[in-house]
Amino acid sequence: MKVRINLFGALRDADASGYIELEVPEPCTIGELRELLRDHLRTYAPHISVGLVQRSAFASNDEILHNHRLLPEHGQIAILPPVSGG
Amino acid sequence: MSDLYTAVVDIRETPLDPAAALAFVSDPRFGGINMFIGKVREHNLGRIVTGISYDLFVPLALRTFEEICERARKEIDVPMKLYIAHAKGSLRLGEIAVIVAAGTPHRDEAFRASRLAIEAVKHEAPIWKQEHYVDGDSAWSEGCSLCEEHRETERAAAHGRTAHAHGHEH
Repeated sequence: MKVRINLFGALRDADASGYIELEVPEPCTIGELRELLRDHLRTYAPHISVGLVQRSAFASNDEILHNHRLLPEHGQIAILPPVSGG
Repeated sequence: MSDLYTAVVDIRETPLDPAAALAFVSDPRFGGINMFIGKVREHNLGRIVTGISYDLFVPLALRTFEEICERARKEIDVPMKLYIAHAKGSLRLGEIAVIVAAGTPHRDEAFRASRLAIEAVKHEAPIWKQEHYVDGDSAWSEGCSLCEEHRETERAAAHGRTAHAHGHEH
């Protein structure tokens, strides 16, 4: 399936469109998606540090999705780098 | 009317409004009102700041603010009104980035509720700060990881250290 990963904060520098689309196996866990995104960025956005992806969380509109969770069926997800509000 | 107000404010449309926050948390039941206002300051880590751009994942930010309000209500366990609003967009020096206000029967609860809320907003809400400097450079702040697996690793590494428990200060 195709998943659209919406980018925020420092990860916006990975793609000017504000998102990255990846083809992923079905089902796919968040942990697997993290690996696939890391590989993608290594090729297409090498200026993004691998450590930043490790420190980032994935989330739906409602909640943080940890590594063991499955991708939402609608194929949309957000990646959240470390936060710095206030 | 609800006792909780949460908002993400696009500052291209309107600035954050402390008077509105005070009005919201005011109530005949409450003798204690406390408000925290976070503003863009001139210096950070030795660099001169000219402005800050805030990026937010709005649906989850609002959901997080609501969870924080519920947590404050549960932990402090008194009648309470809480207001949390955060700016989105580009702010100049001195402009307001965040307002947290609490109204409670007495001062101690109002202080505790607003402290709990602002700390949680800073550490848990999906908000990112990009600082702009006088030399034209910009940088995203380092921030707090929301990734549970990463936090576990950091907690283990920070064990025995007395500094900020997740490896940086802010």
